[in-house]
Amino acid sequence: MFESKLGTLMVGATALFIVGTLGTVILPFTDDTMTTPTASAELRNFAPDSAEARGRDVYVKNGCNTCHTQYVRPVKADANLGPVSQPGDYYYDTPHLLGSNRMGPDLMWIGQRQPSKDWHLKHLKDPQETSPGSIMPAYDYLSEQELNDLVAYLIALKPAPEGAKPKTEEAK
Amino acid sequence: MFSRAEDSAARGFMFSSIVWLLIAMSCGLVIAAKQMAPDVFAHVPWLTYGRIRQVHVNGVLFAWMSMAYVGALYYIIPRLTRVKLYSEKLAQVTLWLWNLLIVLAVVTLLAGMTTGVEYAELIWPLDIMVAVIVLLVGFNCIKTVAARKEKQLYVSIWYFIGSLIWLPLVYIVGNIPSEWIGGIQQANMNWFYGHNAIGLWFTTVGVGMIYYLLPKLTNAPLYSHRLSMIGFWAIATLYVWNGPHHLVNGPIPLWLMKAGIIPSLMLIIPVWSVVANVFGTIKGHWHKVSQSIGLKFLVTGTIFYLITCLQGPFQSLMGPSSVLKFTVWVPAHAHMPLFGGFSPVIFALVYYMLEKSNGRIYSRGAQEAHYYFSVIGFLLFGFSMWIAGVLQGFSWVEGNPFMESITAMKSMMIIRSVGGTMMLIGQIFFAWNVWKTVRLPKVKAADRDLDSTVTSA
Repeated sequence: MFESKLGTLMVGATALFIVGTLGTVILPFTDDTMTTPTASAELRNFAPDSAEARGRDVYVKNGCNTCHTQYVRPVKADANLGPVSQPGDYYYDTPHLLGSNRMGPDLMWIGQRQPSKDWHLKHLKDPQETSPGSIMPAYDYLSEQELNDLVAYLIALKPAPEGAKPKTEEAK
Repeated sequence: MFSRAEDSAARGFMFSSIVWLLIAMSCGLVIAAKQMAPDVFAHVPWLTYGRIRQVHVNGVLFAWMSMAYVGALYYIIPRLTRVKLYSEKLAQVTLWLWNLLIVLAVVTLLAGMTTGVEYAELIWPLDIMVAVIVLLVGFNCIKTVAARKEKQLYVSIWYFIGSLIWLPLVYIVGNIPSEWIGGIQQANMNWFYGHNAIGLWFTTVGVGMIYYLLPKLTNAPLYSHRLSMIGFWAIATLYVWNGPHHLVNGPIPLWLMKAGIIPSLMLIIPVWSVVANVFGTIKGHWHKVSQSIGLKFLVTGTIFYLITCLQGPFQSLMGPSSVLKFTVWVPAHAHMPLFGGFSPVIFALVYYMLEKSNGRIYSRGAQEAHYYFSVIGFLLFGFSMWIAGVLQGFSWVEGNPFMESITAMKSMMIIRSVGGTMMLIGQIFFAWNVWKTVRLPKVKAADRDLDSTVTSA
């Protein structure tokens, strides 16, 4: 009976795993919508060691993405959050910061919804002052430099103006 | 330090995992407190919410559950194959390495050294360490099975070997550095990893443990060996496809969402095979459930596993997802298979191991307290978060200001913390009872049980 064959088990388990991986991990690399940067993606392509890029590191280091998503879906709940996110918007995102939880609001286009640098600085140092009832912790332990970088990153998160073409198309 | 006594590594893994369980669950409680009062431990970088949460998640997944699972593999595989573990010494090495790994993980995460990728937060040197340890564990277990004296491979072995093949592959795909693959592809791979860690490691080893314990605790043969094999192949075929359902309505093509949703609906097949087997085996032995704490945990775990797998496909559909996604409903769902489903299976195995080696458990009362605090605590925890999630989701649908969704779930968050505290109290009874039992004078030395109830089924 095949039930006593260790080889069958190991080969079968590996083969089925590979089939599913091809379908859900490898195949998406052949989909143009997932592999072409959009115009909004270019706005998130921060130069290395720019204030925005450093701010992004502060965002990652302090786990901002545990409470804030960065994606807008074509559903009613996201109607007030700005344009619907496209796969190519994330082209330059390393690591991706889509997030999975909204203990705080979505930040995909926060630079458009709240462009004020002063507001962001105040909010990060004492969230309850600018947003009464907020459950966000204070980030007053960050240095001035880190705070400024983080704010530079946040206000850079905005969509490209309508009709803007991604770089790859301009080049054609 | 490197004992060669039989089961020494298995016991080491179990005891270590219990210590990590208390630490990781305490972090969970800190998170719950911070969600009600953000000033708790504020102003200190290494105690900030985002970092503690990573320690909690990694702690329960990779320290508590995974270490206990390796303990289970080292304990059960020699018994089902009728040989000693291939190398007890290598097993001891993996035990110390794994504990070292977790210490390094806690320190780096609290220091803000993180990849930022959910469930894959560990920095790359630690990723390599994980991969090496897991491969060593797999090597040791597969070598043991290859040298077996029992010709038949009981179904638990199938699940264990499958898991040991899948875990390293899943881990590697999920932890490819973002410098190589970032953006939406990485997000997609992130969920491939997140979902398959639960599907092809936490579920499959847990099911293997259920199939080992069930005939032992009921003293009856397994209801259907064939059904359990159907379940195995169904899980191997279907689970790996589920990742994209985490990005439903999100920035991925529609075909990819469908490729994730359809197999997740079909997962009812492997779940049903487990449930049918558990209930079929216990049929005629239900009176034993009230007497055996192990069976109580086992049956409870199976029921929560079933509910998880009914709830999961529901929330992966586009309609329900458009309301429930990003709410606290989702973390409550994530807790169900781990704390409600498979942690009880580990509890059952730990009590079983100790009863075999020590002849008895120190306190039956503490076992009951462990059970009721865990189960009632989880029910409070789960239902408060599911209700809060619905309130939160519909608040967004109505287009209210964001803060309304936070205010709406305030009272539910208090109930959640009460539930979470009870869950932790239950584990304190557990740890205390294990500690006391280990220190009891042994009444029975016979440890290795090579009876055939399990394998003859």
